Amino acid sequence: MRLDPRTKLIMVLCVTTLAVIYNTAEALLLLLAATIGLLLLFGIDLKQVIIGLKPYFFLLLVLFWAQCIFTPGGEVLLAIGPVRLLGTRGLLLGTSVVLRLLVVIAAAVILTTSNSRDFITGLVQWKVPYEIAFMVSVTISFLPVFRDELVNVVTAVQLRGVELKQVPWGKKIYLFRHLFFPVVYGAILKAQQLSVAMEARGFRAYPRRTYLRQLYLTRWDYGLMLACPGLTLLMIGLYKANLG
Amino acid sequence: MTGKDHMPDGDFLGKEEAVFLKLDQISFSYSGKKSAVLSGVSLSFSRKGITAIIGPNGCGKTTLTKLMVGILSPIDGAITLEGRSLQEYTLAQIGRRIGYVFQNPNHQLFCSTVAEEIGFGLTSRGEEPEAIRERVDFFLDYFDLLSYRDQFPLHLSYGEKQRLAIAAVLAGAPGFLILDEPTVGLDAYRKKLLLNQLYKVAAMGGGMVIVSHDRDLVEQAAGRIITLENGRVKQDSGWKGENGHAS
Repeated sequence: MRLDPRTKLIMVLCVTTLAVIYNTAEALLLLLAATIGLLLLFGIDLKQVIIGLKPYFFLLLVLFWAQCIFTPGGEVLLAIGPVRLLGTRGLLLGTSVVLRLLVVIAAAVILTTSNSRDFITGLVQWKVPYEIAFMVSVTISFLPVFRDELVNVVTAVQLRGVELKQVPWGKKIYLFRHLFFPVVYGAILKAQQLSVAMEARGFRAYPRRTYLRQLYLTRWDYGLMLACPGLTLLMIGLYKANLG
Repeated sequence: MTGKDHMPDGDFLGKEEAVFLKLDQISFSYSGKKSAVLSGVSLSFSRKGITAIIGPNGCGKTTLTKLMVGILSPIDGAITLEGRSLQEYTLAQIGRRIGYVFQNPNHQLFCSTVAEEIGFGLTSRGEEPEAIRERVDFFLDYFDLLSYRDQFPLHLSYGEKQRLAIAAVLAGAPGFLILDEPTVGLDAYRKKLLLNQLYKVAAMGGGMVIVSHDRDLVEQAAGRIITLENGRVKQDSGWKGENGHAS
């Protein structure tokens, strides 16, 4: 099934909206399962996604523990003297935060199945201003760049003799500075280089542009574009009704 | 002094030299690609001498080096390092035995200053701060990077990044080096400095593999030349004595 990039964008918007609104671990777990189902439908290799996400697992763990430790309330599960380390409410909130992030990341992977130029074409055909369409496209095209940069840095650090798995927790924070700083800064440099390269080739965000390729929505696209927001509203309604 | 002064004795791979790294019928293809990048490649390397891998663009040279350091895994065949399967080693364990200079220096620079970059491997090994400083100063001076000591590595020019990447790997004093296009971006003077340093490493008993399109470098330094073509070994000159590389 070849879907229009705009359909994929709407699907991702629906999934991420639900991820923001859902606040319980159970609901987010179901949403994650549904998103994984979508990834499989799009023929995405889950193994590759997990390998790509490996460097972020530590960050997710830190977020989880931060929520566990700093969220008051609920029954105390673990404490050292008067210091509460883990409570039931913190555990649930930590799980929710991690699940929410996983849903957003998994949903974003769907966008990588379309060419970033198709996103521009599609959005412009919908009368979205070119500047905004271009920004969306650049953001999407930078996702694999971020992933590749992170893989390179992790490999380079290990090849200098550092056993990442055996690094004590205290030093891990110091090491993660090495992992994220060059990735983020490198991406900024790349963005600057991209803008210079584009301007050097005469790029300007002129309001009138022509396109060789046109995108056409199929019946599947129309169906999904109507069904997804409808289903999302229904799920929100059911969720709110359950909470109430 | 040239690379040939540090060749193992005897013919191909030397009968006296223990095999350090061995590739046995290696095949590899990238996921989603039908055609194999490498097929049926068998090579052995000892910890002595300078070997050059040459070949046209896209023939699989960089892929071969990535397989040799465990960044990629072969889909067929086996790679052994010091007699053990490469898969039994972690990347860090391989990194302590083999120094790898990436084709693109941007891929291997991750510290916030040039000095930190050179000392990173030594610091993580727990070496004494005084010894680290001494070694960092030596390489900063040797590769003409002293004035950039506190600069952010990604702000350097391509040639400076290349020198820094090489310095950072050499500072760790690995017993075996793999350098992927090390002379790209270097001027003649810096190329000569690099060569001298590589000869020193070879003189101290370190083997190395250089992937290069630089004919001068290959002819000057390499005692053994391996030619790749379409993912296969087209020619392996072997170690043939003083004048014996590929004819």
